[in-house]
Amino acid sequence: MRMSPAPTRASIAIVALVTTSAALAHHSFAMFDQSTTVTLEGAVKEFRWTNPHVFIEMLVKNESGAEEQWSIEMTSPEHLARAGWRPATLKPGDAITLSIHPMREGIKGGQYLSGIGPNGPLVGSRFAPPEPAR
Amino acid sequence: MSSRRAATAAAAALLVGGCDARVDRLPDWSGQWENVGATPSPDGGFYESLEQVLKELEWSPPLKPDSQAAIDRVVEIQRKAMAAMRDGIDPGGAVTACTFGFPTIMLESPLMFEILPTPKETALIFSSREIRHVYTDGREHPPEGDVWPTPWGDSVGRWEGDTLVIDTVAVKSAFPGRAGSAVIAFGGIEESQMIAFLSADAHFVERIRMLDNGLLENRMTITDPANLTGPWQMTRTYRRETHIDRMVHEDCEGEERNPIVDGKFTLTPPP
Repeated sequence: MRMSPAPTRASIAIVALVTTSAALAHHSFAMFDQSTTVTLEGAVKEFRWTNPHVFIEMLVKNESGAEEQWSIEMTSPEHLARAGWRPATLKPGDAITLSIHPMREGIKGGQYLSGIGPNGPLVGSRFAPPEPAR
Repeated sequence: MSSRRAATAAAAALLVGGCDARVDRLPDWSGQWENVGATPSPDGGFYESLEQVLKELEWSPPLKPDSQAAIDRVVEIQRKAMAAMRDGIDPGGAVTACTFGFPTIMLESPLMFEILPTPKETALIFSSREIRHVYTDGREHPPEGDVWPTPWGDSVGRWEGDTLVIDTVAVKSAFPGRAGSAVIAFGGIEESQMIAFLSADAHFVERIRMLDNGLLENRMTITDPANLTGPWQMTRTYRRETHIDRMVHEDCEGEERNPIVDGKFTLTPPP
């Protein structure tokens, strides 16, 4: 696991009323640390194609070599399908490298940013694919 | 009745109120459509900054002074809420909704939708399972006392050539606790805003047509004497989906794994 600073986001001029949330206004993504980007390398345990949000459950080896499960949250199946994703895009055992914003509270989870799967970069991300560790 | 006479009768039945609304003359707007500029990415955010989205939204309502002052007061509160949200604290203002309502659903919704023109009615069906019914059979809005505000309002329409003109009244906010119908602008993560101030007396006219480049254009004019000094005009475009050929529904009641614990959103293990 490697950590790197997130891209700087330009400040936004607030024009009017009420901040709400990301995605389909399901809820805020405030639990993810938007200032930190982490690269995870491991294998898919399960690709949970569920509403309201899809999750990649992946197994990552920690520094002592033990496997830990991470839950990586994406947007909804509706949004992902439009971007070219399908329930079979990832399968258990697939080697993947993901770029995420981690949970603030130390829980092994994060917000999906981009990734590399068995067939190359995963589709639809607005972020550059992660660079695998050397 | 002969088959020819039956066909003639059927065709006559499809002519509506003197309008040119036969099935074979309705435009082909089949497929799924998405709002250009409100397309979500797999991370749940949006490709454009909120600043860019608001620019494209032509966010310049001709507000009355009292309306501007009311919005300014709320803006200050919401700036603090946005800062708290970025620090990981639930400010208590987050909206949980799969319902957007009108006009948001046409202006700044990340939902895909289908348009089904028929001679007497055009239905707009959204992935949130919201439906707009636009009656094009020549009827008018219900009389006063027989219509009440809803998140989608009451819509009647007519065809002017290949342009669908929709007239909508009686709209209220789809968001609990928010007064007025809403316009939402999405951008990035934690950069979305809900702008809810239009009164239930607001009047909306949309002109939807297909452009030469295959995009649908929606030119919306809003009048709301309670809040606006004059008409507020905005234009949005929609493009056909290319990665999918059928509707996929949203479901806010699905496997929710982000409960609020001690005032903060968290993440639970998979069931």
